[in-house]
Amino acid sequence: MRIEQRRRFAILGLTAPTYLWLALTIFLPLSVMLYFSFLTVAPIGNREPALTFAQYGAFLDKEFYRFLTWRSVMMGVHVTLGCVLIGYPAALILAHHVPNRWREALFLLIVLPFWSNALVRIFSWTMVLRENGLIDRGLQAIFPDAPSVGILFTYPAIIVGLVHSYLPYMILTCYISLQAIDRSLIEAARSLGASNLAIFRRVLLPLSLPGLLAGMVLVFVPVIGSFMEPRILGGLEGVTLGTVIEDQFTAVFNWPLGAALSFILLAIVLTILAAAYPLLRRNLQPF
Amino acid sequence: MKGLLKSLVSGYLALVLVFLYLPIAVMMVMAFNQSPLYRLPVVWDTVWFEELAGNERLLGASLNSVVLALINAVIATALGTMAALAFARYQFRGKTLLQILLFPPITIPWLIIGTSMLILFFWTGIGRGLHAMLLGHVALSLPYVIVVVGARLKSFGVTLEEAAATLGASPWQVFWRVSAPVMGPGIVAAALFAFAVSFDQFVISYFLAPPGISTLPVEIYSAIRKGFTPEINAISTIIILVSMGLMLLFARFSRFGGER
Amino acid sequence: MSIVEVDKVSKHYGTVAALENVSLSFADGEFFGLLGPSGSGKTTLLRSIAGFVEPDQGDIRIDGAPVRDTPVHRRDIGMVFQNYALFPHLSVFDNVAFGLSVRGAPRREIAAQVAAMLDLVRLGGLQERRPRELSGGQQQRVALARALITRPRVLLLDEPLGALDKRLRQEMQIELKQIQREVGITTVFVTHDQEEALTLSDRIAIFNEGRVVQVGQPNEVYERPATAFAAAFLGDANFFTGRAGSPNGTGSLGAGAPRRVLLADGDAILTTSPLPADGEPVRLAVRPEKFEIYRSGAGPAAGDAMNRLSGRVLQAIYSGSSITYKVDVRGQEVTVFEQNRSAQPFPPGEAVDLVWAPRHSVPVEP
Repeated sequence: MRIEQRRRFAILGLTAPTYLWLALTIFLPLSVMLYFSFLTVAPIGNREPALTFAQYGAFLDKEFYRFLTWRSVMMGVHVTLGCVLIGYPAALILAHHVPNRWREALFLLIVLPFWSNALVRIFSWTMVLRENGLIDRGLQAIFPDAPSVGILFTYPAIIVGLVHSYLPYMILTCYISLQAIDRSLIEAARSLGASNLAIFRRVLLPLSLPGLLAGMVLVFVPVIGSFMEPRILGGLEGVTLGTVIEDQFTAVFNWPLGAALSFILLAIVLTILAAAYPLLRRNLQPF
Repeated sequence: MKGLLKSLVSGYLALVLVFLYLPIAVMMVMAFNQSPLYRLPVVWDTVWFEELAGNERLLGASLNSVVLALINAVIATALGTMAALAFARYQFRGKTLLQILLFPPITIPWLIIGTSMLILFFWTGIGRGLHAMLLGHVALSLPYVIVVVGARLKSFGVTLEEAAATLGASPWQVFWRVSAPVMGPGIVAAALFAFAVSFDQFVISYFLAPPGISTLPVEIYSAIRKGFTPEINAISTIIILVSMGLMLLFARFSRFGGER
Repeated sequence: MSIVEVDKVSKHYGTVAALENVSLSFADGEFFGLLGPSGSGKTTLLRSIAGFVEPDQGDIRIDGAPVRDTPVHRRDIGMVFQNYALFPHLSVFDNVAFGLSVRGAPRREIAAQVAAMLDLVRLGGLQERRPRELSGGQQQRVALARALITRPRVLLLDEPLGALDKRLRQEMQIELKQIQREVGITTVFVTHDQEEALTLSDRIAIFNEGRVVQVGQPNEVYERPATAFAAAFLGDANFFTGRAGSPNGTGSLGAGAPRRVLLADGDAILTTSPLPADGEPVRLAVRPEKFEIYRSGAGPAAGDAMNRLSGRVLQAIYSGSSITYKVDVRGQEVTVFEQNRSAQPFPPGEAVDLVWAPRHSVPVEP
């Protein structure tokens, strides 16, 4: 009995600090935000709040918010698609066509930017994409009369920046599952007469699907909640659900509305996460 | 045919790498370009770094960032290592639930986490400021620390500790002579990672920064929104070199771990 | 050096019995093998002796003193783990020195003893290597040296050679036995490899489902298995079931002479082992290599001195030094193992006779 008690004490003592911390900083704030989303005004200062569904009502009534939500979701779709189209082939090449001695270094090189400052990386695109930026100058160096193709402060600029931000994550998850595929499986398929295309469709793709799906979720979720990227790269075009939420907290100070919009965003996110949970559990490793 | 495929394949990877590194490289070059209007050809100069050295605001924010990242690394590594030990050494009911609870901090968009922290902290009087940012940064770092240290613990299991006990080592000796040195690289890697998480963290800090107190990323964001100056290129260059350096160190330590 | 006694030890995990009333005694200097399939309780017993597992009931005594309240690090044991559990952050020298070092032995003494111990296991000159720079066999020797250096009262080996390939394993078996003899330490080792158990052990205990099925010297256990499980687990066995004696009075052929076991269809098998009363059911085990196989009608005649059953070859498996036959005997498949003396194996379909001495028919508990 004493051994059992000591064991329980040890487990409690070792885990309690972490989970108390998470409770205070993640779970309690989310609960309080839920409460705020049902208030008329924030109960700060001497204002008297009342319970209301008005904030959620605003979302349903005003087409603007629905448009923004739609726009954020579409942005997520576009970025995810971009990451898949660029990232999956890169992961495939890395996992199965790069000689062993190069593979690890190349992998590190690809993942490295992901773990550097996101804000700074987004900012660096402004210099490439703006009028008279790198792309323009490059073009003009070849065709002196070329018109400006600067796309800074447009929707495509946001997509380019976000794809750049999240591409390494997609490559990472795809690479992990592709690399786990035993080469002898490919050889077996080849010995059975499968063409390259057939090997890809019937062996590689199905076996790496969990990694691909996990990557899609891990890109989509943060993208629909992004606000800094649309602001910096999108300018006036960059109004999304994320930037509107940011405004409620930093400019307009309508916290209950911001809370309600956050929760609508959270609901979308949680639905996707819950559906993808089994995949995430296997793939969510920071390296 | 095979040669063509090979060059296509390496060409593709090269293009991806160009895409990933081009904007960063441009920014770094511009940080050393004398012209504030990004004129070409580049006239190499360190004028923006000199300006930076005199910019009290940015320097103060940098100091805040470093101090915050250091304290964050210490707290997150200590707490996370404890939790990882519990997960690795004990089987208990609710363990899976506790592990699932590590997902929200890394998967819920920071925008939501940041604004909800702002609401709670403001409402309860915890307030905004570096202490509030620290609370948030540690929460974001904990899951990573637990995963990194946990992976290390898993690769050795308890037999090393058992072996030490059969050789006559007391529990205290087992910890200092075996557990601690064996976990060492994992703990160093986790601390580096936690430092980087905090040092690069923008969203949470942004919502929890009161006027007059900021970290480097927050300061950069407001500078960008006001209209950028080449100084930002200079400080960004420093930031990106620091965080990439940290990650290279992390990779070294965590792989170092894998080998042994 | 020491005597270890295991006295009526039981250990349950939930409703599963890992050990059920196990009693064993290991003599001073004895090399004792615990053999059984995985989950049979052998490892639980080893870990109980080490102190990692606390028995629910019963006592373990070393040199007469119960060790129930002695924590692992005060039990004065040496243990070699399945994957050696060498400390990856320490050199070979420091690994071997670990036990002396935690006991606070003076440096000079440690250096001398480690050098002597590394010589014993033939690893002189590798002191500064890290464990990962060693081959499997070398790691195994470091683990052994590390466990022996404190001159423990008992040496516990958990599948000590399990991670080595076959050839290396055979080499290490001989070496392990030599070292154990030289040091003279009471040694208990766990294995699921029957050949290893037979080669190394002075005595063997066979485990099944948490119980000890049989204890004895290797040849005793092999030649006279007590149960069908022991017979089948330790080597191969063919089983014949019938009834003891003979209903028409010809069962007994005088004192010391073989007795008959009547099979269902009137055939009989002779055995020199004691049998239950006439008419009781009996199960006989015969090892495949005890048969001699002849072309039908050839070879020694059946009689009081020999058993003889006819059959037909189903399959002949040629493996160089030996041939394994599957023979259909009265509808039962019997495995026969023959040294390859004749260059021409019997082809499938050939009618053959199996002949064996009565002393090789061993009655076993079902």
